Amino acid sequence: MMAPVAEFRSACSTEEAVTWLAELGADGCVLAGGTDVMMQYARHELGPAAFVHIEGIEELAGVGRDGVVRIGALVTHRRLAEDAALRTSNPALADAAATVGGWQTQSVGTLGGNLCNGSPAADSAPPLLVADATVELQSRAGIRRVPLEEFFLGRRRVDRRPEELLTAVEVEPLGSRQAEVYLKVGRRGAMVVAVVGLAARLSFDARGAIAAARVALCSAAPTPLRVRSVEQALVGLDAALPGWQDATSPSLRDGIDALMHAVSPIGDLRSSEAYRRAVLPGLLARAIEICRARAGVGVPEG
Amino acid sequence: MTVAVGRSVARSDGEAKVRGVADYGVDVVLPGMCHGALWRAPVPSARVVSIDAEAARRVPGVLAVLTGADVENRPTGISLCDQPLFAWPLVRYEGEPVAAVAAETVEALEESLGLLRVELAETPAVADLASALAPDAPLVHPDWASYASLSGAQWPRERNVVCELFSDTGGVDQAFSSAAHVVEDTYRADRQYQASLEPHVAVAEYGAGRFTLHVAHQFPFNVRDRVASALGVRPSEVRVVGHHIGGGFGAKLDVSLEPYAALLARAVGRPVRMENGRSEDLMTAQCRENAVVTIRSALSESGELLACDFDVVFDSGAYAIDAPYLASMPMFAVGSIYRVGQARVRCRAVYTNSSPTGAFRGVSGTYLVFAVERHLDHIARELGLDRRELRLRHLRRSGEKMLNGQTLADADILRECFDRAEELAPFSSLGKGPYRGVGMAACVWLTNPLAGSAVVKLNEDGTVGLVTAATDNGSGAVTMGLRQIAAEELGVDALDVVISMPDTDVSGYDAGSQGSRTTRVVGMAVKAAAERVRERALAVAADHLEISPADLELAAGSVQVRGAPSRRLQLAEVAKLAAAHGGPITGAGSYSTPMPAYAPTCATGLLFPVFPTPTYHLHVAEVEVDPSTGNVRVLRYIVVQEVGRVVNPTGVVGQIQGGVAQGLGYALWEWLALEGGRYRQRTFESYGLPLSVDVPRVEVVTLEHPDPESPYGAKGVAEPPVVPVAAAVANAVSDAIGAEINCIPILPEAVLDALASQDGAGARGVHLSRGGAGAEAGGA
Repeated sequence: MMAPVAEFRSACSTEEAVTWLAELGADGCVLAGGTDVMMQYARHELGPAAFVHIEGIEELAGVGRDGVVRIGALVTHRRLAEDAALRTSNPALADAAATVGGWQTQSVGTLGGNLCNGSPAADSAPPLLVADATVELQSRAGIRRVPLEEFFLGRRRVDRRPEELLTAVEVEPLGSRQAEVYLKVGRRGAMVVAVVGLAARLSFDARGAIAAARVALCSAAPTPLRVRSVEQALVGLDAALPGWQDATSPSLRDGIDALMHAVSPIGDLRSSEAYRRAVLPGLLARAIEICRARAGVGVPEG
Repeated sequence: MTVAVGRSVARSDGEAKVRGVADYGVDVVLPGMCHGALWRAPVPSARVVSIDAEAARRVPGVLAVLTGADVENRPTGISLCDQPLFAWPLVRYEGEPVAAVAAETVEALEESLGLLRVELAETPAVADLASALAPDAPLVHPDWASYASLSGAQWPRERNVVCELFSDTGGVDQAFSSAAHVVEDTYRADRQYQASLEPHVAVAEYGAGRFTLHVAHQFPFNVRDRVASALGVRPSEVRVVGHHIGGGFGAKLDVSLEPYAALLARAVGRPVRMENGRSEDLMTAQCRENAVVTIRSALSESGELLACDFDVVFDSGAYAIDAPYLASMPMFAVGSIYRVGQARVRCRAVYTNSSPTGAFRGVSGTYLVFAVERHLDHIARELGLDRRELRLRHLRRSGEKMLNGQTLADADILRECFDRAEELAPFSSLGKGPYRGVGMAACVWLTNPLAGSAVVKLNEDGTVGLVTAATDNGSGAVTMGLRQIAAEELGVDALDVVISMPDTDVSGYDAGSQGSRTTRVVGMAVKAAAERVRERALAVAADHLEISPADLELAAGSVQVRGAPSRRLQLAEVAKLAAAHGGPITGAGSYSTPMPAYAPTCATGLLFPVFPTPTYHLHVAEVEVDPSTGNVRVLRYIVVQEVGRVVNPTGVVGQIQGGVAQGLGYALWEWLALEGGRYRQRTFESYGLPLSVDVPRVEVVTLEHPDPESPYGAKGVAEPPVVPVAAAVANAVSDAIGAEINCIPILPEAVLDALASQDGAGARGVHLSRGGAGAEAGGA
């Protein structure tokens, strides 16, 4: 039998949305840009009694700054890619947003949706993870803040209760002598789901060596993840020294070893497990090189 | 000085297509129309034990459920009658139709399909080429000995072999035994999906003893004939009406949904519409076949090719379709561009339990040329020879013969192709720098000779009507080329030539949009038809003006007196005069290209014996490999193509760019892998067509050597630019990484593996490239 057609409710305010979500419980489904939800619905992977459409809630569509950068859940990938202030404060997030799907997907797909979808391949996750992001979840009971790292529970599983609405994400902007980048591997130049994605935010000391590092990945494990063991290994690496990118140079080798330990990629239609592992070392090295160039602490030779 | 030919005349359907108002096959809606769909086999090999359609028939709104038990399930085909309408009792590929359902609504249709109870007993699948040829392989067609051959040709059959071509000049083994060098390679290519934006669609009506089919099809007359034979009626009882085609690329040459739509329409007494979903379309589109090519070459000390042993095995899938014809293609890939000395060629098509393969722009030429050209690069590398020089030393000259005995009268054009490419960008100057490489590949291609016809009429308002069943598969061959030829002949503006859509009841026979034949073959028919219209128009005007027809000419929409153009009659006046004096002015023309001479004894199983109206091609690709991802970026792409005569410059360049884009997709991104006879990729997300950001600007040089037998000298243009692309790109990638890439598509993983083997002992270093392809730092 055909699944019954879901009810469609369009919320005008956060309060209205969370009231409906509380009422619907597990039978409700939040709908924003719909770039994931509508495909899953068409494939009968979802069968909600009602969609709670939130695209019209203006208070969720803003970007604010107060020490941290607060990005509303409804901010689209296109806006993340184009917003001049965001490109300065969180350039890796802008990098990532510009690689999500095609122009149409970017124009309606939202940051909140990308996170709540719980895909291991979410492009926005690694740049948010290296910016120490916290997600804000609102329900009738109040507001709950969860570090993004703890929000991802497993493949397609996130720490959002059915009655909660993800309202915003708070991230640290880049500090001085910091740079960040998001690198995505895919077979085509655009419109690909990440085979592997890597974000790095690096702090450099006055000499140009790495003083602190944050590295995060997508499509390398059941969830997007921070790889702290890699971060520790990279501290002290001086990418201005000749031969640093030689796989035998100590800190890079340690970083790569830690990286290979931390990941648990799968083989699927997009790529084999072996390939996902094979590209990671080069990706890490390139991320370091690009961060150095972006931080202006020494231009790599060549 | 021409008025239309040689100019970038706009296509007549362009504006409607851009505005979204053109009627494609998917847009056809008829009064009382209902919907049809197929229940397709979910496994590649099985026996149908039983079908219980009771519950499916009881769904409200369901009008008919048909299975192999309800119809005369006669096997038919293009070359070999091996394909029944319904899998009954054997399922031979995943996606094979088992039942057809018609219903009032799409929802009722889906529910009914879900309630159809088909009991299948799975049987071991013949999953790939190697297992098809294994001595103990199960037979995909246990009854093959009983199948009728439509070509009349008989060939040795064993196990799962569909057909075999074999050719031997003699002396091959002797040459190998005395050769200074022997180089042997094996090449593999996966399938390629035509991926037209518009999936297969058909709307059928049945009434007064006749079927009418509304299609977006490259070959309406083939639909007529194939539907008639599948349903056991006379071809004249089937009318096929063509609509705008949302892409075909060969996938819309054979029938797909049409016979089922016709069956359902007859069963329910109402028009029935069927449309493939995307995955359904991909799984059943008759893709370009997967193949394995083995080449062994004997060479002299100095690198002279003395002999070649060429073996091809390709996958026909579960049915033969056009495989017995395609098996001849190696005869035009080996020894056609380059002299190879003595040659032995064997090509076998085999049955497997996978979706049948079929026609795709360039057919098997893509991987055959890939094999030949990769092999030449490998020889050059082994012997330390310059790659371009090796090719020039063996290049065919005018008057030499191909392996089929056909003389290439104008093969010196090949040398011109190489020279022109060198002028544009010296080969030795390209591909410099780390992880960069350059490759070249050449081919000869045919212009399909099959029959076409046209009627040209002078309308009463002075415009020109052109009625033909030639289809415009998006190439502009009808909407630009044929209109321009009619306009040129009759001295009217091309905008004043109004073309009909194909209709098998209305137009003479046409062999469809295939092999770049339309401008060349139908163009000849249009020219002949227009000449008759011109003669009559001049005669009518001459009577009226009381002047000899010899003193009149057609120009600017008028008949005018030579040397005194102010004495003229508008064509509208001529048309009206004619109506009153002998009747309206029409002319008909027909044409098919005469077959060039060849040596019938050169091979056995040679069903496709010649390459009529040959054209010559050289492609050069420059690439950069990202050493950390294995991704390939094409930096520069050059095409030198002989076209006879450029009829429409925009059209020619557009077709060449499109062909190259499709070839780049084949070489680098599009991937259709089989596992146990089933496709792994089933959507556009995993299949991976190239995007505009992946395809470079294509630099096009056209050479014009007009063919005296062609309309204004034009030869086929649109099919061949896809052919040498994978070869040129694979050569460039191999050059970039210093390792042989012998599989299509070139997967990043294979590139990384090749790089790692260069590094030796698995100690893969970290490769960095500057501003390379692949891992993109995104950002607008």
